[in-house]
Order: sequence, then structure tokens, then C-alpha cells
Amino acid sequence: MDKVDEKAIIVEHLSKNFEVTEKEKGLMGSISSLFSPKKKTIRALKDVSFSISKGELVGFIGPNGAGKTTTLKILSGLLYPTAGFIQVLSYNPWDRRTEFLKQIALVMGQKNQLWWDLPAIETFELNRAIYEIPTKKYEESLNELSELLEVKKLLNIQVRRLSLGQRMRLELVAALLHRPKVLFLDEPTIGLDVVAQQKVRDFIYEYNKKGKATIILTSHNMDDVIDLARRVVVIDKGSILFDGELKELVDQFAKEKVIRVYLSKETDFKKFESIGKVKRLNYPQVVLTVPREASAVAAAELLQNFPVADLTIEEEPIEDIIRRVFRGEVITKKMI
Amino acid sequence: MNKYLQVFKISFQQEFAYRVNFIMWRIRNVLQIFLVFFLWDTVFANPARVLFGYDRAKILTYVVGLIMVKALVFSARAVDVAGEVAEGKLSNYLIKPINYFKYWLTRDFSSKALNFAFAAVETFALYILLRPPFFIQTKPLLILGFLVSIVFAILIFFSLLFIVSAVPFWLPEASWGVQFLVTVVIVEFLSGALFPLDVLPASLQKIINFTPFPYMIFYPLQIYLGKLPTAAILKSLIVSGIWSIALWMILKTVWQRGLKAYQAFGR
Repeated sequence: MDKVDEKAIIVEHLSKNFEVTEKEKGLMGSISSLFSPKKKTIRALKDVSFSISKGELVGFIGPNGAGKTTTLKILSGLLYPTAGFIQVLSYNPWDRRTEFLKQIALVMGQKNQLWWDLPAIETFELNRAIYEIPTKKYEESLNELSELLEVKKLLNIQVRRLSLGQRMRLELVAALLHRPKVLFLDEPTIGLDVVAQQKVRDFIYEYNKKGKATIILTSHNMDDVIDLARRVVVIDKGSILFDGELKELVDQFAKEKVIRVYLSKETDFKKFESIGKVKRLNYPQVVLTVPREASAVAAAELLQNFPVADLTIEEEPIEDIIRRVFRGEVITKKMI
Repeated sequence: MNKYLQVFKISFQQEFAYRVNFIMWRIRNVLQIFLVFFLWDTVFANPARVLFGYDRAKILTYVVGLIMVKALVFSARAVDVAGEVAEGKLSNYLIKPINYFKYWLTRDFSSKALNFAFAAVETFALYILLRPPFFIQTKPLLILGFLVSIVFAILIFFSLLFIVSAVPFWLPEASWGVQFLVTVVIVEFLSGALFPLDVLPASLQKIINFTPFPYMIFYPLQIYLGKLPTAAILKSLIVSGIWSIALWMILKTVWQRGLKAYQAFGR
């Protein structure tokens, strides 16, 4: 049919407020807040709109408390939105219809659904029953997932005895046994070592490709985003600041260029300071960063006044840009 | 239905993972019963004595009956619910196609089954050990009435527990205090789990009879002991039935609102 049907997720003018009681410092503050609690409204999301097509993998990035997790929780039906229209797979998540819940999964890196005192296989069996997965399909899924995530040997060990990385991979299995069509991943690699991170990332990539699953990923780990997401949504203070291809984000947010100079002989290195910020000085190589618009002038000046053997102008590394986005640095009004 | 069968199974396994805890909990129960038993045994040392309509056999049956009825009515896993709400663990269930109330009711049943099995053994041991005069009800109608009253009692306790567990939706820090006050102090005291309520002044009993509490322990045991005339039995069943429905409806409303206020904390 037409375009509307291809959308897995539609969000229009979504807002979410939280009521919180503020506590003042110290014992006296606690006592006074007991009698006259100061209510404060926190606007976690302000008029957020976006839509995601079926099969898309989108990365949500932004600093702590930006509203990423809140968005995921609303999309999976955990939180009641203050205002706005939300549709996931043509369902209103808040209704928490069985048919809807059977098609989604929310994985939170710091949260566990596995039964702590029992082997993971018991939780899997429980999920098989809860999601009413036919036995044959369940066995297929379990086989495939535990192979991809390399957890075959861990299935019968009490969960509390496992390492964080092992547990996280088993959490993923538990969340995906029912083959959700829409997957919300909140910090899936948090606390994992580099090898485990890579395993999880490879898996997410596979799952998205193979199953045509729609995935939203929030992460603090820029490798997650760079590796997996073509499209990114930048959120800060409850508003969307950017929504588009990762490449565009870089173009838009990159403020500097990197000039790499190879010198033919030693010179007064202090003089480089007048051209740009010196990042590294390792004779014969000098690395400078200069504002984008000044890069051509800076290069010309370098060629004229310094004993230059070779010179290259490069884009700022993508990691640096995203790191700045995470810190909330590059976010200025002009971007909106 | 298969869903809840699986919940029952895993819940049962979980109880076994905490064997020591469970055994301690049973020992606590038995000691408590011992205490109450010897207290009343002393009071009724003279076999001819009848106090508040209880003779020695009936008061001791009341006390022993407490073990069984408490195991059926008060054993609940749902005491964890308040903590789940406060800590945001509730989210785990909300994103699954499973009914949260039925889930906990099932877990409660698994806990009740286990506790009841142990209570039966304990009662038997106590009986062998102390050889108390024991009153066995033989009238089928009274036994039926007793069973019906137990079903209502279970529903009342479950609903009360869930209503109290909803407090942390609004006051996340308040989970344990409120729950302790309601489910441990008030319920134990007013339900007849510590002493038969008819030892209290009549005016006080009248007030208590309007609350849901005496229908959890006291009335079921009264029916079993055959201490109530038929009209009173019917009245108690009707009142406890009304309370079961009312509390269930309150529970539904409170939770509907609670879920809207839910903040899925911690993650």
C-alpha cells in the first residue's frame, strides 16, 4: 500500500512531564520536605516528533538525562505520555495489547529479567510460555541465538554465578526468543569489555539485517552508534536537535578541520600557535586544528611561511564530533 | 493457561533456591504457635473451664488451625510487589504479554502450596508431640462454608497487599513502612491471627466486623469450629464476599492510576 504502512513507529508532538518532590539538603531539609513537599515538574520530553520505517536501525544519542530512555519507555508502553500521538506497529503502546507486546522487546543494559537464582534456561522456558512460542520455533530461536551470542555453555549455570558480559548476552537471548519485530535497546553494551561489546554489536547488526527488525538503540558508547546506525537522532533537554544520516550530522556539527603538516626542517614551533590549535607536535609531523572556514587560508599561510614538505587537510574524526554531542557541547540554537 | 503453569513451576523452584530462608520462616511460625499454644493451654488448664465460649479442645484447635489457615491465607510472594514498583522492576512484566495480577496470584499459590504442605506436616508433628484434645469438624456443610470463606480470605489478603503495594507509585520511598504496618501489624492483630477476636469487648468486635480483617482468619476458623449459628455464617460469608469484590475493584482503580504515574525508575 502507501507510505504510511511502511512506518513502524510514528511519534507526533510527544511530551512527557514528571512530578518530582524536591528534597533539600540535610536532615532538616528532609524533615521540612516531609511537611511541605516542594513539587516540581520536570519536562522530560517537549514536543518530540519523528517516525521510523520498518527495518530501520536508528541510534538515539545525547547527554545524560536528555530524554532518550524516557522515549524508549513510552514507545514500549511503560510510561504514560503527557501529550502527543504515538503509534508502534499500528498500536498505541499504552494499551499494552497482547498482540503488540508479542512483537516488541525492550532491553535495558542495567536491568535484568533473568531469574537470579536459577539457570537462564528456566527464564527462557518461562518466556516461551509467556509469549506462547510454539516449541519448534522456540528451539530454533534458542539454538540460533545462543550460537550467535556464544552462550550455549552458559544456559544451565545459575545466573548469579555468571559475569556481567555473559549475563548481558543471555539477557539478549531472553529478550529475543519471541523474535520481536521492533526492538528497543537501551545502552546494550554498558559495562561490557571491548570483546563482549563487539559480540553484542555484531549480533545487533545481524538481527537487524536478517530479521528485517526495526531497532532503536541508545548508547553512550560512540562505537555502537558509528558501527550500527546510519540514521541518528540527537536529543538534548527533551527536544530533538538533529534527525538524519550520521554523515549529515558530521557535516553539520564538524566545526573544525585537521591540518597535518610534514616539515622538511626544524623551525620555531611557537609560530604554529598563531595559525591554529596545535594538537600534536612530533617532528617532522605537526597536527593542527583550525576552524572549517579558515582552513584554506591557514593552509596557504603554512605553505608560504613554513618549511613544509607535505600537507593534508582532513575532516575532524567522527568520534570527536559525537563525543562533543554527548557532552552537549556542539548543541547551539542555530542547529535547529 | 500454560503461561501461569510455567510461572507456578519457576516460582516453586525459586522457593527452593532459598531453602534456608524458607525453613527459618517456618520455624518462626512454629515457635509462634508454640507460644500461643502454651499460653492458652495454661489458661485452660482446668478441662472443665469454658471462657468466651471456648473450651480447652476448641481453643487449642483454634491455635493449631491457625497454622493451616495462616499458611493458606498469609503466605504470599506478592510482598515483593511494593519493592518492584519502587525500584522499577515492574517494567519487566509490563512489557510482556502477561497479566501482572494473575502472575502474582499464581506465584502466591505456589507459595501457599509449599507452605501448606509444610504446615500440614508441622501440625501433624505438633499433634503427635503435644497430644492436644483436637476438635474435628464432621459436618460437610460447615466444611464447605469453611472452604468458601478461605477463598474469600485469600482474595481479600491479595487485594489488600496489592493496594498497599501501589503506594510507591506515588511515594517510592514509602514501600516498606506502609506495607509492614498494614500487612503485618494491622492484619495480624485484627484478623485473629494472634488471639480469637471474641475475647475482645462486644462493641469493639462490632466495629472490627465492618472491616475486611476478621474475614481472613477469625471467621474461617469460627465456621470450622462450629461456633456460629447458620445465619451468622451466611452473614460472614456475604460480608467477606462483598469485601473481596470491593477490594478487587479498589485494587484495579488504584493500579490503573498508579501505572499512569509510574516512572519506571532506576533505568
